[in-house]
Amino acid sequence: MRGFGELEAVVMGHLWDRGTPCTVREVFERLGQDRQIAYTTAMSTMDNLHRKGWLSRERQGKAFLYWPILTREQYGARLMRDALNVGGDPSLVLSHFIEQMSGEESAALRRLAATADEQGLA
Amino acid sequence: MSAAFCLLLYSGTLAVLAPPLLARLTRRGVAPRLGVALWLVAIGSVTGSVATAAGLLAVELARDWSGPPTTLMGSCLAGLRAAATGVHGSMVRSIVFSAAGGLMLAVGVVLLRLGRTWARARDATRAHARMVRLAGAARPSLGAVVLDVPERAVYCVPGRPSTVVFTTGALAVLDPGQVGAVLAHERAHLTGRHHLVIALTRGLCLCLPRVELFSCGAEEVARLLEMSADDAAARTHGSGTVLKALVELSSPSVPSGVPAGALAAHGVGVLARAERLAVPATARARRRATLQLATTMTAVALAPLVLGVLAVCGPLWG
Repeated sequence: MRGFGELEAVVMGHLWDRGTPCTVREVFERLGQDRQIAYTTAMSTMDNLHRKGWLSRERQGKAFLYWPILTREQYGARLMRDALNVGGDPSLVLSHFIEQMSGEESAALRRLAATADEQGLA
Repeated sequence: MSAAFCLLLYSGTLAVLAPPLLARLTRRGVAPRLGVALWLVAIGSVTGSVATAAGLLAVELARDWSGPPTTLMGSCLAGLRAAATGVHGSMVRSIVFSAAGGLMLAVGVVLLRLGRTWARARDATRAHARMVRLAGAARPSLGAVVLDVPERAVYCVPGRPSTVVFTTGALAVLDPGQVGAVLAHERAHLTGRHHLVIALTRGLCLCLPRVELFSCGAEEVARLLEMSADDAAARTHGSGTVLKALVELSSPSVPSGVPAGALAAHGVGVLARAERLAVPATARARRRATLQLATTMTAVALAPLVLGVLAVCGPLWG
């Protein structure tokens, strides 16, 4: 899954926080509180996000209203599955506490833990 | 020249012999950190020997190129010429030249690909860390980011700053002690900078997957690092708690479309982890493993040096 650029991430975060569709002007004003940014930069960033399929938009009067296609939770779920599943991005360097196991293996693990428990392992 | 040849012969032999031997020595993970060190020394010994051989050949070629043709390639070439009876000297010369050139080219290409693989790994991992912080909810009391996902998963993403990720599914099945143990495990990965070791070994494996020392080494090193992080968590939270956390998080939540065979290999690693948590090695077994690993490591580290010295000084003694 292609990631967001730094500014794209800020825009997505803002749109998720707001929870309602926003115009470029609104996002630009919010972003301007923390950083020096041109209106055209905000506009092209949001246009890029729309083109990449992260934002939906609808014309309202002279401006467009933008909103995220996925909720924050849906995005997080996709992110995690892409990262951890077999066949995910092999260049990611993550340490996963435990890989997914089959039912049989999990049962074997449970039996082992139960035996250890009986023998009084702290 | 003969030094380069000896080093190549040595690295070829080690690359073939080391994987089964090292896998056997480190299988039970009695001293996991020393096991990781042994794999790294073996990998370094092989790659270092090949790189040194390529360097020696480059020097030799350059000297031969610029020098008068009569010096040719010294003692080794004389030996080769004698061995290859019936083959004209200039032909041997061109064969040796092209072999040496090919080796240097191969080393160069591999280095380039390695660099690119590592850069891609770093970028992908940093981007993932950034996106996870964006998509998840920071929980300062936990020191982790929580993703609202039903699957049970915990993992850590190295970067600036490094991030530990819990899913809500994982938090739902763990008690506070187990959460602490899992967190200690992930923090051990981050503070131990295990990601650098993983990136190194996996990068080699991705670039040269057919060299068993690299493919097998990447897998074994990853497994041993998990065990080492388990040990760190067990020291503060008890091995029983770590084991129970493993059990709680092991329940299958297999997404559709993932072949069962692809998962089985990982399961073996988890069972081995669980076994050593359930029955920790005795002090005697640990001393024995330490001695074995340390001896092997010293031998593997010193062998190329001894060979190099012998190859360089041999003609003087003869």
